[in-house]
Amino acid sequence: MISKQMWKYIFRKLIFLIITYIIATTIVFLLPRIIPGNPLSQMLASLSQVAQANPEAIRAAEKNLMEEFGFGKPWYVQYFEFVSNALRGNLGTSVAYYPRKVLDLIIPVLPWTLLLLLPATIVAWFLGNSLGAWAGFRRNTWIDKGVLTTSLIVSQIPYYWLGMILIYFFGVRLGILPVGGAYTQGNFPSFSWNFFVDVLKHYILPFSSIVISAMGGWAIGMRLMVIYELGNDYVRFSEALGMKDKRIYKYVFRNSMLPQITGLALSLGGALGGALITEIVFNYPGTGFLLFKALTTLDYPLIQGVFVILIASIYLANFIVDFIYALIDPRIRLGQEE
Amino acid sequence: MFKTMFKPLFQNKKFIIGLIIFLIFLALGIIGPLVYKVDPTEMTWDFEQPPSKIHPLGTDTYGRDILAQLLQGIRSSLYVGFLASVISLAIGTIIGTFSAVKRGIIDDLLMSFTNIILTTPSVLIAILIASYLNVRSLEVIALILGLFQWPWFARAIRAQLMSVLSREYVYLSRMAGYSDFRLIIEDLIPTIATYSFMSFVLFINGGIMGEAGLSLIGLGPTQGISLGIMLQWAVLMEAMRRGLWWWFVPPGVAIVAVTSALLIISTAMDEVFNPRLREE
Repeated sequence: MISKQMWKYIFRKLIFLIITYIIATTIVFLLPRIIPGNPLSQMLASLSQVAQANPEAIRAAEKNLMEEFGFGKPWYVQYFEFVSNALRGNLGTSVAYYPRKVLDLIIPVLPWTLLLLLPATIVAWFLGNSLGAWAGFRRNTWIDKGVLTTSLIVSQIPYYWLGMILIYFFGVRLGILPVGGAYTQGNFPSFSWNFFVDVLKHYILPFSSIVISAMGGWAIGMRLMVIYELGNDYVRFSEALGMKDKRIYKYVFRNSMLPQITGLALSLGGALGGALITEIVFNYPGTGFLLFKALTTLDYPLIQGVFVILIASIYLANFIVDFIYALIDPRIRLGQEE
Repeated sequence: MFKTMFKPLFQNKKFIIGLIIFLIFLALGIIGPLVYKVDPTEMTWDFEQPPSKIHPLGTDTYGRDILAQLLQGIRSSLYVGFLASVISLAIGTIIGTFSAVKRGIIDDLLMSFTNIILTTPSVLIAILIASYLNVRSLEVIALILGLFQWPWFARAIRAQLMSVLSREYVYLSRMAGYSDFRLIIEDLIPTIATYSFMSFVLFINGGIMGEAGLSLIGLGPTQGISLGIMLQWAVLMEAMRRGLWWWFVPPGVAIVAVTSALLIISTAMDEVFNPRLREE
């Protein structure tokens, strides 16, 4: 099923993503070193000032930090160590949670973020595209106008602000849904029915706030794509042949979906940013919440670790979407497009 | 030329509605703080008061006036959005034009660079940069945001210029001995002007949204009040869980109103100027 041309396409995409990933990690590596007034040395200075409180632990953390950031070694050694450590999954030791490893802190929270972000993004993409296509096919009717106007406004609502409104309305005013967290405090994660229902209840509000505000953008884009496609010659030709509208719509829908798939890959980074902030608003124990804590304590090894993992996840997701695209688009599958 | 260009715009209902909403908020941001002379940072004993005659939009936990904060916030957010937009537009235009005019290896290099920035999760990089800066002015925030939103614009400018450069009238202008400068002014700029303006408007949205996002994660401007900073304060003080709706609703409404007004303006312009969308 997978042709030679497809392998070539996938290989090119893979090379591009690896180069991009190396550049992104280079940025993560360079930033603390090129920004004036080196924040790391400032952090070390403040660490030694409070060393009286728990001198041993803090001194150990300081020594560890010096070693892990490799200060004093030539820059290319530092860079090589950083990249090879990152590839082996060694992201260093947290300062605020010393002596826990950064990776051990990220792994338990990552599933919560994925559980929130992936289903919400896919549902929003699916609903938004269907709604947009519906409006596009019925151009200039009240359906089209209604969908377009609503989407123009809804697409501009930040996820987290909608989250705040939903918390206030459903959590505080009506009191029917929990106001934050991923499960009730004291209810420890387990594979029981009760826990599942509890998680689901906590899931509804953050999930809906992402789905609702992400939907609008897809609807606007899809409506435009459908209108463009409907203006193509093959549509006129099919109409002249007496083809049924339903069948034409099917072709138009398929062609309009292709750019939306590419769009999905490109939007993931922004969607992740929005989801991280939504987690903060909801006190949802995901990566965004961990990042927020790391930022407030200036725990740079943890901050860097979160970014290395998140950027890698984005690129992985990008690659998966590219792969699906190659499977769907006949021009790539049959190698007609160079 | 300008008359024929702008007349159909002002016959478009959407464009007019969007423009009016935007102008109202622009006026609130520019004139608002001058007319409503309450210090947005002044703490009073009337804390967490719902809207009343003395405080039209109520007060926050420290007794600061929400309306005064909102007016100041609209001003800062529009400023950040505008500045970020100018930066993005400048970078995008330079890279797109260079690519289209120089072609060859310069084009290849610039376009790979553009594609790399396009796939880089810019929100994350912006958060990372901001986390290393101890002092963040509004201008620094605008710069961080502006540095990452230009790639799709650069690609579009390049594609449009390439198509224009291969048309006959450009060739004729060259034969007629037009200088490069005159060629750019008379043949190239008009073709990218409307698209650039629409992008400019959307970049402002990117700047306003980006500022709000950075602020909520605790990395907004370190001095002054913006719409994002207002939301961050509200989240920190758990305004939504404590029912203080007058605190977190206004800044969000302002963000959504300004950005959707701008989006409506750009959509309406697309409908007027884009032949593929023009109604038959």
